[in-house]
Amino acid sequence: MDFIPGGELSRRIRDGDTSAESELIRQFEPGLRVLLRRRTGGDYGLLQDLVQETLLIVIQRLRGDGIDDPQKLAAFAAQTARNLAIASLRKAERQRTDVDSEATERNADPARGVDRIASDLEAGLAVRALLRELPQARDRLMLKRYYLEDHDKDLICQELDLSEAAFNQALSRARRRFRQIIEERGFAKRDLLSLGL
Amino acid sequence: MNQDQIDEYIAGSMSEADAQAFEEYCLANPEFARQVEYEQRLKSGLAQVARGSTAEFVRSESPLRWNLAAAAGILIAIFAVFYAWTVGGRAPSTILAAVVDGAPAGDTSMRLALVRGSDSIPTLPDGLVRVEIVGLFEAGNLYSVALDRREQNQNDTVATLNDQQPSSPMSLDVLIDGKQLRSGSYSLRVRKQASGEEALDFGFEIP
Repeated sequence: MDFIPGGELSRRIRDGDTSAESELIRQFEPGLRVLLRRRTGGDYGLLQDLVQETLLIVIQRLRGDGIDDPQKLAAFAAQTARNLAIASLRKAERQRTDVDSEATERNADPARGVDRIASDLEAGLAVRALLRELPQARDRLMLKRYYLEDHDKDLICQELDLSEAAFNQALSRARRRFRQIIEERGFAKRDLLSLGL
Repeated sequence: MNQDQIDEYIAGSMSEADAQAFEEYCLANPEFARQVEYEQRLKSGLAQVARGSTAEFVRSESPLRWNLAAAAGILIAIFAVFYAWTVGGRAPSTILAAVVDGAPAGDTSMRLALVRGSDSIPTLPDGLVRVEIVGLFEAGNLYSVALDRREQNQNDTVATLNDQQPSSPMSLDVLIDGKQLRSGSYSLRVRKQASGEEALDFGFEIP
């Protein structure tokens, strides 16, 4: 799909063109999700709220006063998202500071339940499906060490007795397959069950 | 931008200035951003699985596990049929109605939006109210709207509407007949149909 420059989108939205608003959402939503994923600490619900809030603010601004430099619409949207994420973090910090200490002790680990509910369950399901499909335990360990333990590629290759080419190939295959699973949304009942069991 | 930069961004090892430039590049290149997001989700999914048990990364298939899964599947299917029979089969209610050509316009109107940090809860005016739900809606998608009564940490669904089309990318309109509702706290939950997305929850009160 064609990319419409910020200046043109801004002008069309100011002129009341609702198709330009849809276009802005289509263009910016993926990038905003990337930016806000990094800043919402795995809270999927908060991520979705902030993406929506950012897009609403940007559209309302373009419908009204507009922005100083319409060519820099992407930078404006990115900064709006960062500001919202910071404000949300500050609010959460304030709430943590105000919390009743006795109540905290009564609920030994309240974040655990919330985290489970708010996380990207679809990604968890897709990873389970992917891990089941990977023929060798070595490939599964490779993913874990690379993504979760932040081990260096060379170290992983050495530990798992892999050549660099084999490492890159396995990683690229896993990425491709993960995307395919999500796109197909081909979850079997057993995947949904394994999450609850 | 290349794979090494994606890896650096996801690992959090990029400088803040470089990360901001990377993010602006993502906003200007939606397909590239999708690729990055898949990587973020892969990492997030791995973290979820690892929180459960590291055995997931080394385990072999277990027949007992699938037997348990099959048994649980049958229970879920029975529950789904029961739910569809008892809840899904209810007659449509006029408490909540779609806004269509030729329908009453409503005595008054109200706008519901999610405002972060807001402490005030809107009040539904008297009579038949046209409610504009403000959010981001994708053209061509259908949405379901559920009206819930909130009582002592419990939500009871009073009425539901399916297959609603947004009136614009930022609004979806419904009619609520407040005369048929008791005073108390209510919420409208709006959800994109045939998606795993969470519902948006808009609270209001009837005095």
